[in-house]
Amino acid sequence: IFFYPGTVKMHMAVYLVAMCRAVPVNDLLDRASQRSDKMHSLSTLLTQEMDSHFPPYGRMQMPRPADCHTSILQTPNDKEQALQVSESDLMSLARSLLRGWVDPLAVLSTNAITLPHPAKSSISSKIQELQEHSKSLADGLDILSGKMGPAAQTISFLPYTGGTDLGQDRVTILNKFNFLLSCLRRDSHKIDSFLKVLRCRAAKLQPELC
Amino acid sequence: MRTHLGLVMLCVMSAAGVCSSTSAPESPRQFDCRSREKETFSCWWEPGSDGGLPTEYRLFYEIEKGVRECPDYVSAGENSCFFDKRHTSFWAEYIMMVVATNALGNASAQFQIPDVMNYVKPDPPVNVTVVVNSSAPSPFLEIRWKSPPNVDVRTGWVTPKYELRVKQNDSKEWKVIDIGAQTFFNFHNVEHGLLYMVQVRCNLDYGKWSEWSNTIFAKIPKHHQLEKYFWIF
Repeated sequence: IFFYPGTVKMHMAVYLVAMCRAVPVNDLLDRASQRSDKMHSLSTLLTQEMDSHFPPYGRMQMPRPADCHTSILQTPNDKEQALQVSESDLMSLARSLLRGWVDPLAVLSTNAITLPHPAKSSISSKIQELQEHSKSLADGLDILSGKMGPAAQTISFLPYTGGTDLGQDRVTILNKFNFLLSCLRRDSHKIDSFLKVLRCRAAKLQPELC
Repeated sequence: MRTHLGLVMLCVMSAAGVCSSTSAPESPRQFDCRSREKETFSCWWEPGSDGGLPTEYRLFYEIEKGVRECPDYVSAGENSCFFDKRHTSFWAEYIMMVVATNALGNASAQFQIPDVMNYVKPDPPVNVTVVVNSSAPSPFLEIRWKSPPNVDVRTGWVTPKYELRVKQNDSKEWKVIDIGAQTFFNFHNVEHGLLYMVQVRCNLDYGKWSEWSNTIFAKIPKHHQLEKYFWIF
């Protein structure tokens, strides 16, 4: 329901949007968290796949988690904090993080094809799949946030300044790729946790959805 | 005078004893951490040699800015530190240092925890029950379980996922089934007259798998037996 092919004729698109508007918020949140769950699952698999062939000396040179380009965004970092944040702020955080990954995901996707890693084709297809989920989740959250009011539609800009080139030598490339993936894993988990907290709040009357 | 000499002799002798058998402690090693429910966590270490003297171990940690000392050395047992909800942050790096100190000196070791999420490993699922359903044309196992009691599944902060494995008692191979977030599963393709073993495990938000739960046995009645068998542990 979050996916609109660009070739769909206008009246079809309008019809689909109208259908989406009719879907209750808790159903939309359920679908959104299925997408975010899948994204988190894929990013976890990706880090595990990279780890299986990561040069041990490279790990020493890894940048710190605080160096992730999305770390400037203040987010709740424990359960108590997450439960205190308003619905629209949680939505805004999830959307900002998702938006912040559009460019670096494209960088990962381009570089995965030539990655000096034995599992590069599997890594590459997982990143493509992640990109697709990310796009359809972003579309879905656009609709959802539209129903939640202006605060939910606020997006913090998280620019990625790492450039499109990951480096020249094998170790540098693998290191940067791995670092980006570790940031992605962290953020996909944040997005997933925030959306699932939202889903549970919306599902108060149907706890089995939570 | 004689008393003084005696005292000096005693001091020299005890000093020699100190030199030969006692020393500064070795630095702690084999550091590890675990969070059972994605709300608190604990870390522990293997002490090195204590140099034959009473040795004190203290853990200091740095998160974002500022160095703090372990808030609780007791709750997680010997040579450990427990971080309660108030001291646990996810998606943040902890740099930990364990310092061993005795009368002759100190030694320390540093450990990096890039994200407590990497150490989330829950307890196994509980209340696993298997009911043999033989009323259908072919029998099957109705398997149910509950999430570990210390995990809060009502707020959305944590989502447990499950994996099930079943094997026929005499077989070597387990059949592993990826369940997702459900807490029940009907296992088909079981044969009359055989004994089956069932185990369940879980992870939280794609963290580490728990250990497998206790084994539940389920006997499928022979064809002529029509009654239902219940196995609840």
